[in-house]
This record gives sequence, C-alpha cells and structure tokens, in this order.
Amino acid sequence: MNNTKTLLRNAGLEWQEGALETTAIVSPAKLKDTAEQLQREEWYLLDIVGVDYLEFTVKQPARFAVIYNLYHLGENARVFLKVFLEDGETLPSLYSVWKAANYLEREVYDLVGVVFDEHPDLRKVLTPEDLEGHPLRKDFPLGESPTLFNDGRFLDPSTFRAGVTGKDRGLSGYKGGERAGTSSAPLPPTLEVFTANVEKVKA
Amino acid sequence: MTLAQIPETALEGPTSLLHTEEMVLNVGPQHPSTHGVLRLVIHMDGEFITKVQNHMGYLHTGFEKTFENRTYQQGVTYAPRTDYLHSFGHELAYVLSVEKLIGAEIPARANLVRVILHELGRIQSHLVMIGTGMLDLGALTLFFYTFREKEALQDIFEDVCGYRMNQGYFRVGGLSQDIPDGWIETVQAFCAKFGSAVDEYQNMFLNNPIFLARTKGVGVITPEQALDWGLTGANLRASGVALDHRKANPYCGFETFDFKIPTATAGDCFERFRMRLEEMRESAKIVSQALERLEPGPVKDPNRKISLPPREELETSMEAVIHHFKLVTEGFHPPVGEVYVPIESARGEVGYYIISDGGSMPYRVKIRAPSFVNLQALEYAGVGGQFADLIAVLASLDPVMGDVDR
Repeated sequence: MNNTKTLLRNAGLEWQEGALETTAIVSPAKLKDTAEQLQREEWYLLDIVGVDYLEFTVKQPARFAVIYNLYHLGENARVFLKVFLEDGETLPSLYSVWKAANYLEREVYDLVGVVFDEHPDLRKVLTPEDLEGHPLRKDFPLGESPTLFNDGRFLDPSTFRAGVTGKDRGLSGYKGGERAGTSSAPLPPTLEVFTANVEKVKA
Repeated sequence: MTLAQIPETALEGPTSLLHTEEMVLNVGPQHPSTHGVLRLVIHMDGEFITKVQNHMGYLHTGFEKTFENRTYQQGVTYAPRTDYLHSFGHELAYVLSVEKLIGAEIPARANLVRVILHELGRIQSHLVMIGTGMLDLGALTLFFYTFREKEALQDIFEDVCGYRMNQGYFRVGGLSQDIPDGWIETVQAFCAKFGSAVDEYQNMFLNNPIFLARTKGVGVITPEQALDWGLTGANLRASGVALDHRKANPYCGFETFDFKIPTATAGDCFERFRMRLEEMRESAKIVSQALERLEPGPVKDPNRKISLPPREELETSMEAVIHHFKLVTEGFHPPVGEVYVPIESARGEVGYYIISDGGSMPYRVKIRAPSFVNLQALEYAGVGGQFADLIAVLASLDPVMGDVDR
C-alpha cells in the first residue's frame, strides 16, 4: 500500500484519503500526460467505468465521471484515475497509450455517451445501431409500467424506488451504513421508529 | 506458411501467382465456431487475413442497468448469468465487493465452500473450453470425454443449490444454505477420479499431430502485447506473465492453499490450451485441500442486518419477523462509497465496480468482463494467418459471449 503511494507521488497524483479504493482525481486536460507517465512506469489499463452522477445523493464536481482502472504488476498495486466532466465535454482517447482502451472507450461511449477524441474507431459496441440514447445515463427511461392491483390501487415503480434510495432512512428508520463494521454503536430498528415513520409517510 | 514468408514478387504485378483482390468475409453471428453469438467481418487477401472486426452485442441485456434497479441481495441472481460457464466466479466477485462495502464477516465454512465451488466452476469452464475448442479444430472425440466430467460437475452443483447452471448460491454474508449431507464424499470421489481424466485429455490432444500443427506457433501474443491489450487470466499466463489474483491479491483465504500457477512463454494457441489443462490439475488440488478443512459451522454472517434470520426464529421472535420483512422488501443500506474487489475467474480478472449512494440498490455497477477485453486480442492476433488459424485463435482466447455482451 505504501509502495502504491510512492508510485503515485512520483507521478504527481493526489489520492482521496479514507476511500475504500485508492482513487486519484485528474483533470481532463492533464489526463493524457498522466496516463503516458503511468504507462512508462508500467501501469496497465484493465477497465474503464463511466458513471452518470445525475441522481447521486452527495454533490459531485460534475455530472459525469470516467474512472480508469490501472494495475501495476510489480507492486500488485491498483489505482483508479477519476476524471469528472460535464455533458458535452470530451476526453482524449487513451488508445495511443494503452491498446486496451479500444473496446473499453467504445463501451463507455455507447452506454454513457462520453465522447473520446481521436479514438480510431468510436462506434457503438453493445447496443443495437437503431437505439437512440445512452442506456446507462440516469435519465434514460426504463420503460416499465405500474403494477395494477384488484381494488384499483397501483404501485408506481419510480415512487417505490424513491422510498428505498439513500435519500431518506426508509420505513424502518434504519440505514445499514451507519452500522458497517463494529466501531459504531448499534441502533436497532425499534417498533416505535418504524410506526413513527409509517405515520410520517401516511401524512 | 504465413503471409510474411511469401516473397513480395509473388504477390504483386501482372505476373502475380496469387489473385490479390481483397475479399470481405462474414462469419456468424450464428456460427458454431464463434462460441455464442459473435459476428466477425474478415478482410482476406487471398488465403490470408488482413483485418478482423468483431461485432458483438447480440446478447446485450443490460445487466448493469438491471443491477441499478434491484437490491444488493437480488443482484446475486444476475451476476452468474453474465459468464454462464464460470458462474461462481462472477457471483463471488459480486458478493465480495458488496461485503467489502458493508463490512460483512464470512464464516470459515462458507469461505471454504466458496473456494470449492469457485474452483469446480473453473474446472467446468476449462472442460468446455478444451472440448469445444477441439471441436472447432475438427476433433470431435475429446468433446464427449470432457462433457462426461462436466456432467458430473453439474450434478454436484445441482445437489448443492438445485441449479445446474446460473446457480446464484452465494449470498452477501455467506451462502444461501448449507451443503447437503453426503456432498463432501461426492466431491471427494470426483477429485479422486479427475486426475486420471486429465491425463486422458492430455494424451488425446497434447500428442495429437493435427492439433499440434494447427496450434503451435499460431496466434502468438508477446507479453508486452498481452499487457497492452489488457489480457488477463490464462491467456496472459500463456504469454509468460504470472499474474493470478489468487496469489497476487488473495481473497477467500487462497493464500493458505498450496497450488502452483502454470505459465508458459510461447504465447501461442497451443500454450493457451495447455494452460487450461494444467490449471484444472491445480484447481482439483485446491478442492481436495479445502474439503479436508471443512468443519461444521454456520454458513451466514450472524448479523441480522445482512442475513435473513433462521426460519425457526420467525415463529417466536417479533424482531426476527421485522428483520426478515425489511431485508426482503427493502434490503440493507451500505454506506456511500465505491468499491472493487478483483478475483481470478476462468477467463481472467473479474471485478464489480460498485458505487453506492447509501440506498438499498447500487447506484452503479460496472462489470469488469474479461472476455470483452480478451476478445480485442483477436483483432490483432488473428491478422496475418489463414482463416483456419483464426478459428484456433478464437477458441484459444475462450470468450464467453454472455460475459462479452452482459
């Protein structure tokens, strides 16, 4: 782990403390230079993740993020390079640095809609050619229909999902993350909290 | 003979020996040698391939989007369906990532059962790879032999969870249920016989002159190329890079097992086939060791916020009923964070990059699919050889289209 940090410091990268995985944030302008330097230090590209933070509960610097999963063989170290960008902004293609970026960038382009400049062959890779839009964007419609029950009640999927996202504590008042590990004191979901929350939802 | 070995003069000019008009050839999407639904567009100059283009996505079902709209525990159903030949690998990668996120503790027995099934899954996947790979090269017999053992393995999987494929047996926090009585003996019997079965395969293809002629020196990938293209797994080890996450970044206690990582230097199709054969022996070794260590005990994290309470408790405890209700209807809420745990599946590095927004459903799940990345190598390694070589290269890279398209 310390070796990873030395390697990253050599490359002039800052990482986020306290995160589960070693993540370094890079600006789009510096991405290519950083990648070239890391490539010279024998880091290899294994994966690219595209994320749309549109509905994320914690404020993020920009709507989209592209995360490069890099691996160092000698040190068995892994680092995630994270680049934030707004809708309409583009990123330089890393195909000239690592050939592995070919399909991976095409996939991010196809599913999230991030454009990579100077990619030799930026076409869709997974979705059909006549599909418009990018399915992994959060505003892409799911195409689901409400469930209708006998007595006229119906369950609206998006409302149902809103009740189980991280935005509020849900019907039980219990949020598991507060109890991860053993350090924090356990807070059992009592019946009072449960009924109080049910009342709150009804009102 | 490769394109490079033919003298330039024979290819050019009006007195050319070969008619050199480029031809575009379509293979698939429905073709037995494409191992699923893969379409290749091949540019050919005479007998030799000048360009290969892969067209995939025929099996794309949007798993990553589906994950975003299901609870963490429900995601276990989808993970094995990506790579249907080594389902346990994907299942394990998924639950390990979620467990790291919520901080679950896995009982020793559950860990050992996971190791056993993970390795049996690897054997099953390699059996299919060797059997169908030889089938592509025109040797039908080995297919029947490998599928004999594959059948036995599927019976073992069926015994443990009721499914022959796409098991979904692991749970976040352990296993869905304990292994049945007599299962250990069945697996021990399988392992005892399996060594001689591998010897049998070895005799059938490592000494087969047709197989050697078609794979030795074909589709060579150098270690530098392999790393540049992001290859992982046996394909990378065949090129001489000994990266195996079971040793490099151990999970599930793999560091306590005694096994070797087979590597080769040639990086051709033959070595890629041979790697699978050697790996099966090592996997069988791991399974035998794990079976010896199995001791009775719990198979789930006792934390009621993660695992369902036992059925008996529901009849006497109100708290258990509430827990059961909340876990089934809503699921647990991990903290905000991003997590990735790599594992070594039969095809290479599998990892689930999970982003949690604090809700009971993942905000984003990205599957690191080894087949998808490995398939890129076909566009390079397949060029320069003849069409028949391309089939050998494709078979030796061993992509599973479910894993490619997700």
